[in-house]
Amino acid sequence: MDPKFIRNFSIVAHIDHGKSTLADQLLLKTGTITQREFREQILDDLDVERERGITVKARAVAIHHTYQGHDYELNLVDTPGHVDFHYEVSRSLAACEGALLLVDAFQGVQAQTVANAYAAIDANLVIIPCINKIDLPLVRTEEVLEEMHTVLGIQRKDVLMVSGKSGIGIDDVFEALIERIPPPAGDAAAPLKALIFDSKYDNYRGVVTYIRVRDGRLAAGMKILFMSGRSTHEVLEVGQFRPDMKKCDELGPGQVGYIVAGIKDLGSVRVGDTVTLASRPADSPLPGYKAPQQMVFCGMYPIEATDFEKLREELQKMSLNDASFSFVPETSDALGFGFRCGFLGMLHMEIIQQRLEKEAEIDLIQTAPNVTYELLMNDDATVRVDNPQEVPTTGGIKEFREPIVRVNFIVPAESIGTVMQLCEDRRGTYKTTEYLGMKRAQLAYELPLAEVIYDMHDRLKSITRGYGTMDYEVIGFRGADLVKVDILVKGERVDALATIMHRDQAERRGRGLCKRLKEEISKHQFEIPIQAAIGSRIIARETISALRKNVTAKCYGGDITRKRKLWAKQREGKKRLKQFGQVEIPQKAFLSVLEVGDD
Amino acid sequence: MPFCAHRCGYCDFTVVAGKDHQAGDFLLALEIELASLGQPREVQTLFIGGGTPTHLPVSHLDRLLTLATSWFPCATEHEFSVEANPAGLDAEKIDVLAAHGVNRVSLGVQSFDPAVLKTLERDHDAQQVEAAAALLSQRIPNFSLDLIFGVPGQSLALWRETLARAVALGPMHISTYGLTFEKGTAFWNRRAKGLLNQAPDDLERDMYAAAMDELPQYRFEQYELSNFAKTGFHCRHNETYWAALPYYGFGPGAARYLNGRRETNHRSFSTWLTRVLSGKSPVADVDELSPADRARETLIVGLRRTAGVDCAEFRATSGFDLDEVAGAAIARHCTSGLLERTATGIRLTREGRFLADSVIVDCL
Ligand SMILES: Nc1nc2c(ncn2[C@@H]2O[C@H](COP(=O)(O)OP(=O)(O)O)[C@@H](O)[C@H]2O)c(=O)[nH]1
Ligand code: SF4
Ligand SMILES: [Mg+2]
Repeated sequence: MDPKFIRNFSIVAHIDHGKSTLADQLLLKTGTITQREFREQILDDLDVERERGITVKARAVAIHHTYQGHDYELNLVDTPGHVDFHYEVSRSLAACEGALLLVDAFQGVQAQTVANAYAAIDANLVIIPCINKIDLPLVRTEEVLEEMHTVLGIQRKDVLMVSGKSGIGIDDVFEALIERIPPPAGDAAAPLKALIFDSKYDNYRGVVTYIRVRDGRLAAGMKILFMSGRSTHEVLEVGQFRPDMKKCDELGPGQVGYIVAGIKDLGSVRVGDTVTLASRPADSPLPGYKAPQQMVFCGMYPIEATDFEKLREELQKMSLNDASFSFVPETSDALGFGFRCGFLGMLHMEIIQQRLEKEAEIDLIQTAPNVTYELLMNDDATVRVDNPQEVPTTGGIKEFREPIVRVNFIVPAESIGTVMQLCEDRRGTYKTTEYLGMKRAQLAYELPLAEVIYDMHDRLKSITRGYGTMDYEVIGFRGADLVKVDILVKGERVDALATIMHRDQAERRGRGLCKRLKEEISKHQFEIPIQAAIGSRIIARETISALRKNVTAKCYGGDITRKRKLWAKQREGKKRLKQFGQVEIPQKAFLSVLEVGDD
Repeated sequence: MPFCAHRCGYCDFTVVAGKDHQAGDFLLALEIELASLGQPREVQTLFIGGGTPTHLPVSHLDRLLTLATSWFPCATEHEFSVEANPAGLDAEKIDVLAAHGVNRVSLGVQSFDPAVLKTLERDHDAQQVEAAAALLSQRIPNFSLDLIFGVPGQSLALWRETLARAVALGPMHISTYGLTFEKGTAFWNRRAKGLLNQAPDDLERDMYAAAMDELPQYRFEQYELSNFAKTGFHCRHNETYWAALPYYGFGPGAARYLNGRRETNHRSFSTWLTRVLSGKSPVADVDELSPADRARETLIVGLRRTAGVDCAEFRATSGFDLDEVAGAAIARHCTSGLLERTATGIRLTREGRFLADSVIVDCL
């Protein structure tokens, strides 16, 4: 296909502003899918996506549209909107020359509208701004146009009026895509260069590699080379997403599609790598992606120790499908053999965990998540710490550093005060305020990531009655007076319960933690002291009193079956407990660290 | 025999209160259910429980006992128990019992204290208990008293007094039950609403300990977690259950254990009645365990006995060695001090009796 007739674009927006719905509409309008095949948000095919109504993975689909007598191939890349998935967004953007920027006609510019718009601008994409959902009975078109101008410098003459749901303005969208976005540059005669932007594992076909061709041509039968992985493979099939995988003869410059090459080794395909021909390799690879920075970590342990290898395999598959997720084996005295997994954020973590339990059917114990820390040691070495356990108890730390994020809030003007108070309580540093018209303002703060990820979003929603939005970006590490708080159960440190927090909060949170654990751990035959400690100094203590009496009074002929079933059920419940010394700790206790909030 | 004068707030047995006119239907259905035996079976022990069997009027009581003994003629040296409540247990009824060969009566005393009896919603007083015991001493001297501890408002001193007064009545056997809150009872709901406070753990333990310490002083030896008896007066019928031996069962909610299979009849009186009268099986629940699970069950019911579980006997009943089915749990609790090894087997220690369920759960 002549690149002149190809356009690669993506759709970016704040969550729920209608990306997936618009994508559906474009597919339907071009006959890529029929009305009969249509189901809402067709590109969201992961279970978790359908359940949560959000897009997690980026999707690519090739659609054909006739414009002024010519057949155009439009490659659409649908992207997630949540802050955790910036990495997916920026990868998708690198495969495009333009982006549709959707803004909800009622909600207006939101935090992630700004973040995603800047990501597109940074990637040198042509932006086609759209006010979406104009079919809504209540719209604020004038104000939204004003906001788009104030925050993003968008001229009102460039803005399209669209409804992804009812189809209003869709023809304008097609026209703008073709007229405003440049065709992909690329040389069909040059040596093959294609960028791997995603991959997934298919049980039947092995690894399916998602690529965008920059130069050259790619067809079945060719022998390809992954430039940084240095492995060669024979291409069995190339094709496009329409939206299901559909075989085609070849992929040329600008085209987006997939390669099946019978690759079984999950590790050999790296997102960001360049594909070239073994017989005629390109001189240099395409610029790859900056490796994503995992900022949130937690331990994942199989409940059944025998599931360890199975868990490793599943994590490997998962990381292939999601390059922003990492894992390394670790051991815990309390939990045995497991993995320390890194995520971009909390939603990302929840989704991976849910996918693991669902797709892999492995029961997991998950430890409370923590952010990553940086230690400057007395010998001036810096050490990254992804697990509170790794913080030396003996000292030797010159500076304890935590990740800092710049948080951008967009909130109703009347909640500015409460939002500022929230940020002050969380050790925030005020940066700027900017009004977007009369009623709303954009507020910027620098905050420790640890104070942001757990529940800041929920708190924001509640104090702004749902109107506030936020987005954040990591800006670096900064020293703080941080301490590791250990938990001792019956005098012994339980490694998986250690947490890092600011010294000022340690006593209060330590107390809260001991209280929570007291509720979670059931009574034993003996007394169980629960203590929180910084080093050897005990800062809080609770005691679980001994179980004094636990005996069924009556067990006669008619009681036996009923009682046995009851006891058998208790026995089942106990299997989800981890034996730590003489004490049985339930799975929930490991997460209780999280639930000790501000009060 | 499900009929009772009224339903006590803590009771979750199959009980019909205020429907005495259905006693005839009950006997009719029972007759049909018993006929499924085909032919009479000789038994070592017979137990008629409830409900309150002695709540039936004399004529019905007579028919019930006739029915029972005609299908289950007793072997020599048999034990034939009937449950009774103090209220309404007069000489005439006791005569009927004795005439049919009843040689053991289990009396639902629970307490002598007016406040505790009121909390428990019992319909008798201490005087009626004394009168009933006096009558029994003459006609059926092998009688047992049921007592309840851990009743809201009951003090340890009061419980001790209850034990002493029970002993003074001259029974051969005493059962002590910690009050439980069962789902579906009035007590359960009242506790949920905060209207009734369960006795604290520590107090219940002290009360149970008082029974364990004091009853032996009057030569009532503890032979099961809730049961104490003078030498030779264990309830042989109940020992069948803890030895995991087979037994029959008839009536609403009745259970049987035959050929390794546990069956329970419908607990609802009206369901049981309709099913039996219309020729359908009254069985609601069938529990057929794998040999290993059955062995574990044998172990956990056996552990309730003070004597514990005998290795050889266990092997003979279940076909397994003890360590084969619960070796790890046994070892753990021998270390934790809740179990101990005897010359021929294992048993709960004194501490283990307080925490028997913790051991049992681990053995499953
Ligand atoms: N009225 C109206 N609702 C829309 C429109 N587009 C999307 N929606 C609704 O907005 C919600 C979020 O849409 P979705 O496409 O999942 O948003 P995404 O999170 O950006 O992918 C859904 O309930 C859609 O039905 C539109 O044009 N008009
Ligand atoms: S008398 Fe006994 S069986 Fe009848 S209701 Fe009261 S506790 Fe239950
Ligand atoms: Mg979506």
